[in-house]
Amino acid sequence: MELEHPTATPLNSAMTYDEASMERSKSFVNALQELKNLRPQLYSAAEYCEKSYLHSEQKQMVLDNLKDYAVRALVNAVDHLGTVAYKLTDLLEQQTFDVSTMDLKVATINQKLLTCQIYTDKEGLRQQQLLAFIPRHHKHYILPNSVNKKVHFSPQIQIDARQNPFQTRTRFQSSGTPAAKTLSWHLASETKSTLKGSSHASPSPNTENPKFSAKASGVFHLLDNEENTWMKSSPAQIYFPNGVPTSSTPMHTLGGTGKDALEGSKPLTAFRSFDYQNRRETVQVPTRSKSVLSAFFVKQKTPKLKAGSFL
Amino acid sequence: MARAGGITNAVNVGIAVQADWENREFISHISLNVRRLFDFLVQFEATTKSKLASLNEKLDVLERRLELLEVQVGNASANPSLFAT
Repeated sequence: MELEHPTATPLNSAMTYDEASMERSKSFVNALQELKNLRPQLYSAAEYCEKSYLHSEQKQMVLDNLKDYAVRALVNAVDHLGTVAYKLTDLLEQQTFDVSTMDLKVATINQKLLTCQIYTDKEGLRQQQLLAFIPRHHKHYILPNSVNKKVHFSPQIQIDARQNPFQTRTRFQSSGTPAAKTLSWHLASETKSTLKGSSHASPSPNTENPKFSAKASGVFHLLDNEENTWMKSSPAQIYFPNGVPTSSTPMHTLGGTGKDALEGSKPLTAFRSFDYQNRRETVQVPTRSKSVLSAFFVKQKTPKLKAGSFL
Repeated sequence: MARAGGITNAVNVGIAVQADWENREFISHISLNVRRLFDFLVQFEATTKSKLASLNEKLDVLERRLELLEVQVGNASANPSLFAT
């Protein structure tokens, strides 16, 4: 019995609600029908009043009666109109209420559906998160951008060095140190040769080395041939004593300190004379043919002198 | 005798005028009330039309929402696995 009550009550309430709405509709329809029926009645009453007033002899009494009837008829009509208006208004309000209720129900259903969709979306995302495998790398193997750039830069340098080792050597040579060494060596050799030539001009080649004597004879021939040009004889003298310094340098060093001072002062003069001689040679070389022979002779001498210096 | 007849005529005229005035007053009263009734009916018509229009609009919106919900429910019922999970 207790279970039947909650199930029966909503049905009863629904039926009562439906019955009430039906009753309202019926009453409205009845009122409207009565109002429609009132119109012919009023027309018939009007015709009767008109005839009675025209055909009656006691017009005043008939007029009074007609006035009363008209007033009552008018009041009745107004009453009917009021009833119909009230019922129509009530019906509209009821319908509006029903529509509002239905709107709320639809909103509730919409909200429930949205909740279900949100739930399904969340579940789907959760499943995707569980299934997806995102690989993770240890920090040791992850390098920042700057380090990557440096790493990319340094191998290029190494590759360049490896690809062109000769270029690096040439660059090292082109840095300037060999030129400076060669120049200083040349100047020192010139200074030494001048000193040795002035001190030991004739006896040294004859006594020490036969090879140098042959060279000396060649040099003398050149001097005899070119007596007119003093400028060309000077580089020959310079080249001739280059071979001698190997034997004479220890004697100077063993001799004493006074010669060292002279050697210190002389390289400046030698340097100056060398510059002056180079300028004149550059000016005169293209005009004469003998200069070609001297150049060839000089080229022949240089390797021999170098060989002697090595020995 | 002539004086008595004149007085009677005057009285009769006065009575007639009074009766006519009363009739005119009645007619004006009736017409005024009928006009008031007419105004009431016009206003009632306007109010009722407005209410009906509002109700019609609400019904249209409700119908569209119901159609949308039907489609959504249909899609949901077509894929029951989503709700089952």
